[in-house]
Amino acid sequence: MTVIRPEDSDKDRWGRSRLIDWLDIEQVQSARYLVLGAGALGNETIKGLVLSGARDITLVDMDHVVRSNLSRCVMFREKDGAERRWKAEAVAERAIEIDPGARVRPVVGRIEQLSDDEWKTYDVVLGCLDNIAARLHANSHSYFNGVPYIDGGTEGVAGRVQTIVPPFSPCLQCGLNRSHYRVLERRHSCTGSELTYYRPAMAAEITTTSIIAAVQVLEALKLVCGRYDAVIRNVMHYNGLRNSWDELELSIEPACPLHIKTS
Amino acid sequence: MPIRVKVRNAETGSTVDMEMENENTMDEIVRGAASFWNKNPGAYVLRRGKRLLRGSQTVLEVGLKDADELELIPDPEGGYRAPPQ
Repeated sequence: MTVIRPEDSDKDRWGRSRLIDWLDIEQVQSARYLVLGAGALGNETIKGLVLSGARDITLVDMDHVVRSNLSRCVMFREKDGAERRWKAEAVAERAIEIDPGARVRPVVGRIEQLSDDEWKTYDVVLGCLDNIAARLHANSHSYFNGVPYIDGGTEGVAGRVQTIVPPFSPCLQCGLNRSHYRVLERRHSCTGSELTYYRPAMAAEITTTSIIAAVQVLEALKLVCGRYDAVIRNVMHYNGLRNSWDELELSIEPACPLHIKTS
Repeated sequence: MPIRVKVRNAETGSTVDMEMENENTMDEIVRGAASFWNKNPGAYVLRRGKRLLRGSQTVLEVGLKDADELELIPDPEGGYRAPPQ
């Protein structure tokens, strides 16, 4: 006969999460997550994933911490800026402080260095990136390898989340127009190398970043728990000044190279 | 025959009437509206109701009619880059 005590439920780290009927903690723990970018959005995403029970996360970023990151990045500390630590390594270390059972593997480098063989080992990819070129890379490699991709972006108090489930959803590229490509062109020379281009963009605002990352993490949890019926269709836009959320439908672009290849 | 639609600036709420032909594309509307409001050279998308419109779609394909309303929304790229020294 099983004997329980009133305080038993307090001993289970995910005891409260288990009360959410669709949330399968074992699935969340066994899934493999690839997080691209360890900036403000990446910090919040890792925090949300680890608190939710994710245990196998790979985090890719090529940048180091500077002091101005500290107002928006929950995982960074003063000493990280002083020591110019790699963002991915600092986040990985702090994530383990949140949950010693979590494993966050930091990869210091460009996302282009990940091979397709590695890409297809993940259950879900979360994009916390800051430029269109990297997003297109993440989008095409996720789509090609059949891995769901959740893209997040913020600017000031505006943000967006797009959930792409290949081969059913329109992809990120389907939603791009010439204004996106003009941004891309300004950043790259005719040889394809990156140029130093300054666009007076607004910085991330931390509450907006938290909101967008939270939605990304929730989308990832839905996907690993098989709740494909509940994911965003297809793009969600948030405006913090107007207090508005809009879930917008997007259709597949017939000329999109990803869909031509997969159809 | 040209039609006239209202384009709303999602950031400010202001609107402008835009006259267009059936063969005009959403790309052209994005460019025209962003230019009218002197927008930063970033990425923008257009929505009509609950649908995001693709850049290559024409007025005819989208089925725009007189007095329809579109909204120009900034498409956040993220990441602040400090001005070059």
